[in-house]
Amino acid sequence: MTLELQKPRPIWQIMFSTHHTDVGLLYLISSLTFLFLGGSLALGIRAELFLPGSQIIADSMTFNRIFTVHGTTLIFLFIIPFASAVGNYYVPIMVRYKDMAYPKLNAIAFWMIPPAGVLIWLGFADFTWYATPPYSIISAPGPAADMWIFGLKILGISSVLGALNFVVTILKCKHPDMSIGQIPLLAWSFLSSSLIIIVAIPTFAAALLMLLTDRLGVSGFFNPAMGGDPISYAHLFWFTFHPEVYVLVIPAIGMMYEIIPRFSRKPIYSYNSGIFAFVMLSIVGFSSWAHHMYATGMSFTEKTVFMVGTLAAVPASAMHVFNFVATMWNARIRFSTPMMWAVGGIALFFSAGAGGVVNSAMPLDFTTHDTYWVVGHFHLFVMGTIAFGSIGFLYYMFPYVTGRMYNETLGKIHFVLSFIGTVLVFFTQHVLGLYGMPRRIYDYPPIPEWIAMNQIASIGAMIIGISMAVFLANMIHSSAKGKLADTDDPFGLGGKYYYPFEAKNPSH
Amino acid sequence: MSGHSNWPEWIYVAVVIALMTWVGAEAWEAERLVEHVPADAKTIIATGQQWFWTFEHEDGTKEIGELHVEVGKAYKFEVVSTDVNHSFNIHDYVVLIDAIPGRVNTVWFAPDKVGEHDIQCREYCGLIHYNMRGTLYVTEPTS
Amino acid sequence: MKFIFGFLLIMAVLVALPAADFAFAAGDEPGEYLDRRVVIWNLFYKMMTVAFIVGSVVSGTIIWQVWRFRESHPKAKPTSYEGTDW
Repeated sequence: MTLELQKPRPIWQIMFSTHHTDVGLLYLISSLTFLFLGGSLALGIRAELFLPGSQIIADSMTFNRIFTVHGTTLIFLFIIPFASAVGNYYVPIMVRYKDMAYPKLNAIAFWMIPPAGVLIWLGFADFTWYATPPYSIISAPGPAADMWIFGLKILGISSVLGALNFVVTILKCKHPDMSIGQIPLLAWSFLSSSLIIIVAIPTFAAALLMLLTDRLGVSGFFNPAMGGDPISYAHLFWFTFHPEVYVLVIPAIGMMYEIIPRFSRKPIYSYNSGIFAFVMLSIVGFSSWAHHMYATGMSFTEKTVFMVGTLAAVPASAMHVFNFVATMWNARIRFSTPMMWAVGGIALFFSAGAGGVVNSAMPLDFTTHDTYWVVGHFHLFVMGTIAFGSIGFLYYMFPYVTGRMYNETLGKIHFVLSFIGTVLVFFTQHVLGLYGMPRRIYDYPPIPEWIAMNQIASIGAMIIGISMAVFLANMIHSSAKGKLADTDDPFGLGGKYYYPFEAKNPSH
Repeated sequence: MSGHSNWPEWIYVAVVIALMTWVGAEAWEAERLVEHVPADAKTIIATGQQWFWTFEHEDGTKEIGELHVEVGKAYKFEVVSTDVNHSFNIHDYVVLIDAIPGRVNTVWFAPDKVGEHDIQCREYCGLIHYNMRGTLYVTEPTS
Repeated sequence: MKFIFGFLLIMAVLVALPAADFAFAAGDEPGEYLDRRVVIWNLFYKMMTVAFIVGSVVSGTIIWQVWRFRESHPKAKPTSYEGTDW
């Protein structure tokens, strides 16, 4: 089931297929499309903030729309669908089943994404990815806001359908000879993140409906003028979206669990502690949501409870780092492109986590809340960890998807530039936050430190932009004209791979 | 796969848990200290609305976009909003609390030096959020 | 390794006891106000010190590993799993 551009299949054969590798391919292509779309918006934001005053974006409303769609696109239309792509390719093979449990449902879950993407992009809402009421109810212009709400509603349903499918595939369709303690950690990561989705998303789905009826004026759940409480939206939202952070990060860690032992030529140091940490994260992830809301006037007791809940997630994340380090110990590591991305991702995962611990300390919220510190912190997760793991895995599965090898030199250039750019942008943004620059501002006063650091960040963003251009060129050129890959062992490492292309599953 | 002994990992986890306990204890203590409002703090009502701040002192005087306070006194802000969420922030004095319509949130500080500081809005509130700024003037005590 | 563990335990106690002591000794004199900047930034710098120490250990370990266990290192030797179907 390789994507063979030299002898192409008719496109409708892929589009109307329900085979897991075909649906995976569709997920892959659409998520990468949205990666480039959302990433170019980020370049616009950084270009605008290069200097105080208006640079390339005409007015603040356009700027607000751009960062809203940037965040929404990269979280919901890149990271989550990319994980689904990997899951579609690998989970059925890892549990030794012929396909996903519900192939048609799988295709439906994918085909909900393009309309949702169209709604979000045509609407171009301005109320941030968080859609805070009462702003989103009384002040955000329609129809953009309503289109965003419908888009997110569809994406929520799509994630829940996809998650149900993964859970059933793993628990019910795994080969009877395999126990649950034998499926690879990548499949375990999909099991735990899918369970989080099923528990967490309905809350946000309900909140979205309430937001919509509030906007229509028929209810006042979150509208203080009608007796509602905006803070209740914040609770509903973060009850979904703090665990959602783990939904984003767990599959990326799972991908590293596939890459790092492979290129270390050693099994993972401790399989059981990997499972334990996944399960711990998906449970403890539900005890920390209100750490996003310290500044909303919570009581001392509430803050303490959520700080403890947040800190409780740290040991589990730290166990993953330990596992990776211990796996690489005494190994013979081949630093092909996927391994470079995975190791870079671990280093940045640690930095992001350390910043997160500092964040969770209640009094530090006074200095960091809603400043660029927070922007730098979560971007180290979504870019430094999740995107690094995902892009590394994309290079890893490239020979299996296309039957061809990517250009190794270009892949390494892509990594080095991206790593430098990521460090420049997001570490600088931490410091910028300590100087007090708020998030989501179109223009800033000409304070010399702010200007200098914004310029460093913008230059870093341009470096990432260049690296992504190299990436795009490499992917397009190599999938059409790359060297044919040795499909038994494309990286020359030995051992037993999971081959999506060898899934001799008949098409439906 | 996991037939070997795993004691290094357990030691490592114990160290992480010890570190997190330390972080929690330190943070708890600092928060307890800063949350304690002095009994003789003067109240200032800070109202956020799109896109400026209004301040009302205890004696009823009002100021828009600027705030005058005196060195050596403690002030308690009662932060409210009339439209959407804002966040009242004097970064130089590490003062921050959200202004949420329908709620009164409090935060206090005691300026100790004469000077001018920026007041800004840190929660996204729409079109001119970026310029919802004011100035804090700390002056010598008059009495 | 046991020595390191014991050392860390002693350090934890040395840090925790004064902190607990401080917690119950905070006063409340009229006219004397606590400077929130001092409390908050002090906490921040303390945590940053620890974060950077831990960070240098972790990233130092990773950098050393990447250098030492690369396959082109002169002392690199095959792992015991190579050649098997692990």
